Amino acid sequence: MLTGDAQKFYGLLFGIGFSTLLITQQMTIFVNLVERGASGVYNAPEAEVWVMDPVSRTTDVSYAMPGTALDKVRAIPGVEWAVPHLRAVANVRTKDGDLEGVTVIGVDDATLIGLPKRMAVGDKSVFFAPDTVVIDDVGVDRLFSNGASPLGERLELNDQRAIIRGIADAIPSFTSQVTLYTRYSSALNFVPGTRNRLSFVLVGVAKGETPEAVAARIEQETGLKAETRAELAQAGVNFIIENTGIPINFGITVFLGFVVGVAIVGLTFSLFLRDNIKQFGALKAIGVTNSKIMQMVGVQAGLVGLVGYGIGVVGTIAFIRGFGSNPFFKGFYIPWQIPLISLAAVVIILALTGFIAIRSVLRTEPAAVFR
Amino acid sequence: MTQQTTPGCAPEAAICARGITRDFEAGQTTIRVLHGIDTDIRPGELTYVVGESGSGKTTLISIMCGILYPTEGEVRVFGTDIYKLTDTELVNFRLKNIGFIFQQYNLIPSIDAAANAAVPLIAQGVPIKEARERAKVLLDKLNIGNQADKLPRQLSGGQQQRVAIARALVHEPRLVVCDEPTAALDASSGRRVMDLLREVAVSPDRACIIVTHDNRIFDLADRIIVLEDGRITHDGTEMPDDH
Amino acid sequence: MLRNLSFARQILPALAVIGLAIAAWLILAGLPDRSTAEPAEQPPKAVGDLAGKARVAGAGIVEPASEIIDIGSALSGLVTDVRVRPGDRVAKGDVLFTVDARAAQASLAQSNAAIAEARASIAEASAAQATARQQLALYRGLADPAAVSRSEVIRAEGEEAAATTRLGLARARLASAQAAAAAARTEIERLVVRAPIAGEILAVNIRSGEFVSTQGGGNSTPFIQMGETNPLHVRIDIDENEVSRLAIGAPAIVSPRGAAELHVKATFVRAEPQVVPKRSLTNSAAERVDVRVLQLIYALPPSEAFRVGQQIDAFIPAKAGAPAKTEG
Repeated sequence: MLTGDAQKFYGLLFGIGFSTLLITQQMTIFVNLVERGASGVYNAPEAEVWVMDPVSRTTDVSYAMPGTALDKVRAIPGVEWAVPHLRAVANVRTKDGDLEGVTVIGVDDATLIGLPKRMAVGDKSVFFAPDTVVIDDVGVDRLFSNGASPLGERLELNDQRAIIRGIADAIPSFTSQVTLYTRYSSALNFVPGTRNRLSFVLVGVAKGETPEAVAARIEQETGLKAETRAELAQAGVNFIIENTGIPINFGITVFLGFVVGVAIVGLTFSLFLRDNIKQFGALKAIGVTNSKIMQMVGVQAGLVGLVGYGIGVVGTIAFIRGFGSNPFFKGFYIPWQIPLISLAAVVIILALTGFIAIRSVLRTEPAAVFR
Repeated sequence: MTQQTTPGCAPEAAICARGITRDFEAGQTTIRVLHGIDTDIRPGELTYVVGESGSGKTTLISIMCGILYPTEGEVRVFGTDIYKLTDTELVNFRLKNIGFIFQQYNLIPSIDAAANAAVPLIAQGVPIKEARERAKVLLDKLNIGNQADKLPRQLSGGQQQRVAIARALVHEPRLVVCDEPTAALDASSGRRVMDLLREVAVSPDRACIIVTHDNRIFDLADRIIVLEDGRITHDGTEMPDDH
Repeated sequence: MLRNLSFARQILPALAVIGLAIAAWLILAGLPDRSTAEPAEQPPKAVGDLAGKARVAGAGIVEPASEIIDIGSALSGLVTDVRVRPGDRVAKGDVLFTVDARAAQASLAQSNAAIAEARASIAEASAAQATARQQLALYRGLADPAAVSRSEVIRAEGEEAAATTRLGLARARLASAQAAAAAARTEIERLVVRAPIAGEILAVNIRSGEFVSTQGGGNSTPFIQMGETNPLHVRIDIDENEVSRLAIGAPAIVSPRGAAELHVKATFVRAEPQVVPKRSLTNSAAERVDVRVLQLIYALPPSEAFRVGQQIDAFIPAKAGAPAKTEG
């Protein structure tokens, strides 16, 4: 029935599609942006439990511990292994003399636990060469925007020489800060000295133990703070949410998407049903029951919803894929929950507007058709 | 569905209306549109209900075919007191027994002619494929079988009205009600539609009521009922001379 | 139906369904991999009996059983000969290196010459004394006192006394020269540096021709480092807070850095009586200290995997029923 009126049909499609696109795309960007707060956790795929000073909050807001904390953690039953992990900020001087703030991450000397899973360029064995740092791909864009290969470039870190020997395939941090990975012992040289240097102890959990139980035991017995991977990732996300205006901004946009959807769809729907009230009257006179009419309208709305929703979701994917090469969008993905949320939004929009619009049809006397 | 006999109602009557009055509220005042109409409609006849605008003919026919409740009175359609039925029973009764043809055709614009003609069958729960087949047979009979796959807006007025006729007859109702079937058509196509209607709609066990004031087609009637101000002023085979 | 395929009613929904199917596939395929990964290399871990039990972990350094001996030199001078190379095993008293001894040799020769001269003087004085005594005895044996003049006798007596005195003097000179020669010999001996114990040469930091001074120590590198490397010991630092939990005397499981899959059982030797500030093992000169550690000495079984100075990770059992080490 709706398809008989191309203008209104496409109007409805546009309304639903636009709403879906706005809601899905904005929520996707929001989730991905906020998850950047947990990128430090996800970039160290081996660690199941992170041990830190009690005042540390996230991977980037941490307070260093004495070196013996590592031994204390190793002494806890259920700890399969524990390695040191250093995260600190430093200033780097590039060849051109520019100053750039960087995050220096020191990974365990022997096992290299704490590195991102993959290297974009180079091999993990480069870490065993002296003065090696490995830059992350965001850093390449920031420091070497002219397209020159960073491999072999010399940097100056805390008056020490550092040579870039590889590029890590890492998830960028929230601030897209340049990250340099190096071995723990080199990191101690690259970062200006402070009393304690050990930022985190990364822990692997023994077979038959859960990370939660081991983390609780570590907290109880060492007095340090131990968080599972999921907890620390959540803490990173929460830190972003609490300390930025992002949730409000995106929340407003998503809400606007919803309101626009309700407005466009509601108006078009009402107009459409009003235009066809005679036909509905005729159907009612012939003997089509209200429930059948509601079914019909429901099917029509479902059709419009399906197509509009498809347009919105496909549009979002095209958007995310299209901008995938942009470093800002690196690693962006669409959580499977979000299309379901926008689907629910579409259903709510259609149900709400459809219900309001169809009331006039249901109230129509069949006798009206004869007038 | 009680099958009792009301006094004065012939058992074979298609519609037996007794004492029908109907009031409409218009603000503070109540307007009585029908004043105690008593009439029988017999099967096998083409019955015209004729009257000026506002004479109450539309109201009368709405009440007789079960889409408008009378203020007072009783309507039996093939022996069933339709206003004693529940809403759902009444809707199903209409769906089974009555075919409607409207002045504006009121075809559904997004489905093709065959589907439009098949609507009553589909509403009765007949499978769509079978319903379309039956509708197509009827469309063939109405000489528009070759237009069965076209959308209403692709058809001319006369063709649309034939689709509407097919929709009214496809489920073989025992009562067909037409509201100004020719009003939107020019003289010749109106005539052709009426010829056709007479040919396919009128059968010994089917009653056909046509509401019209189109004097071009009065000669096709078996019986003409004239309404004036809510009262029957004439009931015969011919129009009275003063019209 | 097909003839009358409706774009809006059939094609669009079909496209939408196809698009959504592709979208669902892309979304599910694009979900990030958040799973944990097994470490590519083995990190140090407690194994065997200690795996699920109460234990204390510590880091340490491999050292010789004798600890490292920094060989010094008693005298300064130029190195003339280095007799050992790193890795050599030496017995106690073996020569390690020699320092230029020419000055000492010269003074020895000088002393020897003085000895010879003194001996000659002794001989001459003895001869003179004998002659004088004979003369005097001759004079004393004459019966006629007037045979020699009184003055002659006095002269002979004087000569005898003078010769005796000269002899004494020459003897004293001999003793002095002999003492000087002994001193020179001792010095020559001191310029030859020998191994204080049997052991292995760990480092040689001098070469022939270099100057060694007695001002060693401080920040200067030792000339030669050696130690008894059979067996090797490890010195394990245990945080002072953990000391009370430690089962002192229990064997430890030791893994070298970078080869954590190797687990060696080390036997307890002793605990250092003093708790000391943690010595940095991180190469950073700027690192300051805020923790104190108890140092435990463990003996390693013979193994190719350990070298002196290597860092190790160790796990030591905790005392049975140590507090706060129960489950949970």
